[in-house]
Amino acid sequence: MQSVSAEDTVQRLIFSLSEIEQLGETIISGRGNFNVSSRTYLRIIHGTLQVTRCAILLFQSTENHLTVEAAINVKAESLCIPVTADDIAAILESSTIDPSSPPPPLDNFFNQIRPQLELLDANLWAPLKIRDDFLGVISLGSFRTQDNLEDWNRELLPVLANQVSVAIAYSRLLDKTRAEQFRLFMLSDTATQICKSLDTEAVQEEAVTHAITLLDASTGGLLLINPVTQCLEMKSIFALDLQANIDLENLSIPLQTDQDAPSALSPLAEVATPAGETLICNSQGNGVLLDRRNLMAVPMRGREDTLGVLIVADKEGRGGTMLDFTNEDRVLLEAFANQAGVAIENAQLYQDALEGRQLQAEMDEAAKIQQNLIPDTLPEIPGYEATGLYFPRGGVGGDYYDCLADSNGSWGLAIADVSGKGMQAALLMATLRAGLHSEVTRKEDLPSMAESLNSLLYASSTSGKFATFFYAQLHPETDLMTSINAGHNYPLVIRGAGGCDELEKGGVMLGMFPNDVLSQISEYEQETTQLYSGDVVLFYTDGVTETINPEGDLYGEERLEEVATRVKSESVNQICQAIYDDVIEFQGEAQQFDDLTLLVLKKSNHPSC
Amino acid sequence: MATSFKLDTRTEDGYAVIQTDGYLNGPTAEQLAETAKDLMNQGYSTLVINLEKTRLVNSIGISILIEIIEFLDERGGGLHFCHLTPVIERTFKMMGLAQHAEIHRDEASATTNL
Repeated sequence: MQSVSAEDTVQRLIFSLSEIEQLGETIISGRGNFNVSSRTYLRIIHGTLQVTRCAILLFQSTENHLTVEAAINVKAESLCIPVTADDIAAILESSTIDPSSPPPPLDNFFNQIRPQLELLDANLWAPLKIRDDFLGVISLGSFRTQDNLEDWNRELLPVLANQVSVAIAYSRLLDKTRAEQFRLFMLSDTATQICKSLDTEAVQEEAVTHAITLLDASTGGLLLINPVTQCLEMKSIFALDLQANIDLENLSIPLQTDQDAPSALSPLAEVATPAGETLICNSQGNGVLLDRRNLMAVPMRGREDTLGVLIVADKEGRGGTMLDFTNEDRVLLEAFANQAGVAIENAQLYQDALEGRQLQAEMDEAAKIQQNLIPDTLPEIPGYEATGLYFPRGGVGGDYYDCLADSNGSWGLAIADVSGKGMQAALLMATLRAGLHSEVTRKEDLPSMAESLNSLLYASSTSGKFATFFYAQLHPETDLMTSINAGHNYPLVIRGAGGCDELEKGGVMLGMFPNDVLSQISEYEQETTQLYSGDVVLFYTDGVTETINPEGDLYGEERLEEVATRVKSESVNQICQAIYDDVIEFQGEAQQFDDLTLLVLKKSNHPSC
Repeated sequence: MATSFKLDTRTEDGYAVIQTDGYLNGPTAEQLAETAKDLMNQGYSTLVINLEKTRLVNSIGISILIEIIEFLDERGGGLHFCHLTPVIERTFKMMGLAQHAEIHRDEASATTNL
């Protein structure tokens, strides 16, 4: 033990006062990060009070522990001291505490932490506090120059402790202010940025990642309502660990929960209901929804409807601690979710509009192709009148009709309906037309022609695409008409002398099966019909007979036959117009989705023709 | 979405480069701070932190980055950031990091005048 002269004491006192001033300046300098400055404070205490060892222990309120923040000459920097509310209350009563003779309320506490006190070589404690807010303690080891602190040093210690307390409080306030500043910035900046994006998937992903950073969460996800399945479906996840029993990436939660047997994830579905409210699950250490330690799920609303649920989980604090989600967090995330919801809805609307424009452009192109394939006028057939009508309704279908001269003096009349709509249907129709024009010149019989066309369409079309097809070969000199019907609506022969025949003989529609399979199902057959003066042959597509009226009734073949019979004595143009007028009158305001196509052939009333 | 965090360190003549890969939150920023302190203890007082593979930083990550800046300041060193996403760059500027650390477009421009 060294003796201390009065001069030494005065020198140390002057040094201590200047160090206290230094402390104050450090605190107000604005660089108040206690994690960084704690060792500086400790060095000042160490030098001023001439102790062998010293440490600053901070109170961790979430775990109720004192942990070493900074230490000089203490090896066990990872030690931790459990402390109760009663212990804290007793510690706060004293300005300094001698652990070897503590006040009676702290006897038990200090007895229980003997090993930790030995590691700290604790001779004296001074509480760190701001009013009644317990922050921690300064632990001093043995004194270099005397057995106990001199009186002035004993009075100096609480002053130093007070300065350190201010530094801790300031550091925490600064941290909190920075966190709030960060949150406000993130809310204003990122939400604005999200709204600028029109890529649906990118917006969904950004909504999740920004929500996570905004709330200092570790994980999160976005579930959106699928209006078709009425399920919440996972659209974007970040760092949600995949559990053995839940495939989170393909997670789907029914909105309608079974009240008798609700699933563990039903609370998330409830958040997405129109009256759904934010769900906060703070576990206090136990697993909550999706096996998280804590979780908050807020409804994401669009302009009118709830779009889904935004989830953040495992909110972290400093030093690896886990914090509860608070009411302020709820307000913040709800505000963010509202903006992100609008952004997601905007992106979806843009995507829909884009797809709509692309679809419309394709439909326009397909319509041009189809219009070019249908003849503007039909050729004149000796002794006959012929006319056609194509009326598009609700899009581009695959309707087609044609009339072409054949190489042996006969005339070919064709009508077809390709399945589907749009470009694919138009292209398949173009293929059929090209094939037909080629086949007509080859002088083969009609079943052979049908087989060739079937083979061509089967090779050209994707699965499930096919065409109904009717072809008639008219010989004006004999008035015989040979025909083949590949799955098409039966053309009607309205007899001038009365009665009606249907042309049904043929086979399976084109393009459905390859020829080798087709031969095992059925062979194409043709039939021959004798036509007489005044006979009207009516070719049509299902757009005519399947027209529906506002009551949902079908126009039907009977009605078509009645109208055609009523006007059979008129010209083909008048017959065509009468049928068209009747169909349009029948449909009224009902929306139609299939095109209306007619081809009318009439044997002239004048035998000389 | 990938969520693991990685740190790569490279030392050059007079400075060290730390490249992060992943979310910079509490635990991962603590890793970064430990690495930075190790490098400082090895005598590298000028550090370049390349955030090319980091898209997210939360408030705790920001707070720990400020600590690193203050540690370096105390030792007369300097911190340089490069390859920041626009959001992170705006965040650093708003949170005051840009006042005490330099922000560069890429590693080459960060190290040119060191």
